[in-house]
Amino acid sequence: MDKEERFWLGVLAVVFLLVNVITLSPLVPWQEWMLWSRPTPDQTVSVEFGDYEIGLPPEGVEVQVGEFVEFVATSSDVTYGFGVFRQDGTMVFQMQVVPGHENRMVWRFDETGIYDVRSTEYSGPRHSDMLVVDAIRVSP
Amino acid sequence: MTKIGWLEKWTLRFAVVGLIFLAMSGFEGSLMRTQLFAPEALRGMETALNTIRPVAHEPTQAELFYGMLTVHPIVGIYGFAYMCVMGAFYFLVPFLLKREIRHKKLVPLNFWLQAGGVMICWLSGFFGLFNALYTLYWPLPVTYDRVPLAGSIFFVIGAAVVMVNILLFSFNIFSTVLSKTNPGDYSFWQFLRAAFGISRLMKWLGKEDRTAPNLDYDGFSPFIVAVARGSVDTVINAIVLLAAGVLVLVYGVSALMGHTLDPAAIDALVYKNWFWWGLDMVADGSVLMYTAGTWYLLIPLLVNRRLYGESVVRTVIMVDLLVSMGVWSHHLLGDQAQPFIMRLLSGQIVTWGEFFTMGLTIFASLMTIWKARPVKMTPPLKFVLGSIFGFLMGGAAGLIQANVGLNVVFHNTQWVVSLHAHTFLLTGLGTLLFAVVYALIPMLTKLELRSKRLADVHFWTWMVGSVGMAYVMGMAGSQGMLRRTLYPTPNPFQPYLGLALVGSLLMTVGFVAFLVNIVGTLGWKNVLSLVVPEEWLEGRIRMAHA
Repeated sequence: MDKEERFWLGVLAVVFLLVNVITLSPLVPWQEWMLWSRPTPDQTVSVEFGDYEIGLPPEGVEVQVGEFVEFVATSSDVTYGFGVFRQDGTMVFQMQVVPGHENRMVWRFDETGIYDVRSTEYSGPRHSDMLVVDAIRVSP
Repeated sequence: MTKIGWLEKWTLRFAVVGLIFLAMSGFEGSLMRTQLFAPEALRGMETALNTIRPVAHEPTQAELFYGMLTVHPIVGIYGFAYMCVMGAFYFLVPFLLKREIRHKKLVPLNFWLQAGGVMICWLSGFFGLFNALYTLYWPLPVTYDRVPLAGSIFFVIGAAVVMVNILLFSFNIFSTVLSKTNPGDYSFWQFLRAAFGISRLMKWLGKEDRTAPNLDYDGFSPFIVAVARGSVDTVINAIVLLAAGVLVLVYGVSALMGHTLDPAAIDALVYKNWFWWGLDMVADGSVLMYTAGTWYLLIPLLVNRRLYGESVVRTVIMVDLLVSMGVWSHHLLGDQAQPFIMRLLSGQIVTWGEFFTMGLTIFASLMTIWKARPVKMTPPLKFVLGSIFGFLMGGAAGLIQANVGLNVVFHNTQWVVSLHAHTFLLTGLGTLLFAVVYALIPMLTKLELRSKRLADVHFWTWMVGSVGMAYVMGMAGSQGMLRRTLYPTPNPFQPYLGLALVGSLLMTVGFVAFLVNIVGTLGWKNVLSLVVPEEWLEGRIRMAHA
């Protein structure tokens, strides 16, 4: 390995370290609780998927800003996706919902508002209809 | 009319059919994007085509869309890319080794099986409305109230034909490389040992004699080493996908006979790990290795200089196998049920191994060109540089999404499929295959390219179109637009879709310029000689003269 190759390998190593350290650190906001603090959730919300339906609690999902909510999603048939979206269509977070497993994710909402839930994984031709508008209400 | 040899003719046939599959795949892509942009735009065409579909009910627009979405990557990857790769390797491997293909009869067989298998898959989507997508997430392909049973059976039969054919092709490549006429004369186990880098590792650890020859050192060009090394991934990919296909087929045939098997007998997460481990052998294994090998071959030829850093390059080729075998979890970063350590190590950290292997590969390629200055910017060299740009852009997008933190907002968005996958396939791999065609035609036919201007039109329209399309859709993904999802209109993503359609139109212009140039270079008689028996063609020409 000559001098130029060693220099280039060094550049690659620095980029590798920088990007991984930054993205595993709390500079990516949700890494703070997903990787580091691992808080006990303030509330748990069960979401049941099956037959192209997203089953949220009948009383609705009410969350306070700054509260840690654990979403536990299960599927009774095929793989789905649990995605939370803002009213303008941008994504807050998502996870896959694999049948036969409990799929858990803790989230902390930092903004008040009303959020939609949509299946983010293809589950058959009616997949695109799997949308629950105004599913989560986040209050101050 | 130029006399084209037997093997050269088969190479051109593979290329021609591969390009037809590219056109099909591109047309499907444009149709799907049109439907996303304006859902009613295709209604008339769909109604007309529904009259020839032998299905019990009038298919919904969603069924048609997802049927097309399922076969689109099969046509693009196993039709276009594999056909072109097979054709190119069947010419280049014996040419560089200065020996004949070991099993000549397999060459036409590979051609027909590959084209036939891809077409069976395509027909199962078009007529059978098979819609489980290429991911085949368990148990969707055996959930027959969502996926038609007949379509499912035909699809896996087509996929099985393709996978068996890939195994036959790999066998032929291996046996040609390992042929007894080879001065090195390797046994299969010696080759496998070298392919997995064990001999090199043992030497590095001081466990074996460092002066002893082994396959990766012993006189083969880096291209041959990369092809052989990439074929290890190809074989693993074919075996794993074949096993998944057999599983789906068992459930399908059983259902057909009235015995419903329980889908829950297979753990969906274990299956997903197994499936992605095999599937990723192509995406993160053989594609990268075949591409690297082709750069190592073409660049020194085009700039007339020995490959820079050949020793490092050979090590990279070997190390990359370990990387490609360990990165599959980046497809499961959205699966919270997947153990976190797997997502972090396999999904993120090992995936960065590709940053090093491809980083060193691209460095060696660019340094070879740099040190050969002044270089003549020929059409194939331009396309090689375009392909390097495509892999840089697609690779950067891939590393951003293959991150346990960032994947939370990128998984299954248009970012993944556009900025990463399509940039890799269209700007990276597609442009490289065009470079191979531009470089091989003079070698195969002794004919010079008809028009450099048309090649320039092809280059710039393809690059601007493919990069532009991927970029705008990647931005739509960053705004939350999901892949595999039909949105009602109006929606905030339509401006992105409109711009992406302009990008695909530019690519079409480039592709037409390419075809005009290639047909103009070869001449109609040579093109016809690929499909019409020569005796018949010569007889017709004599009659015309008379």
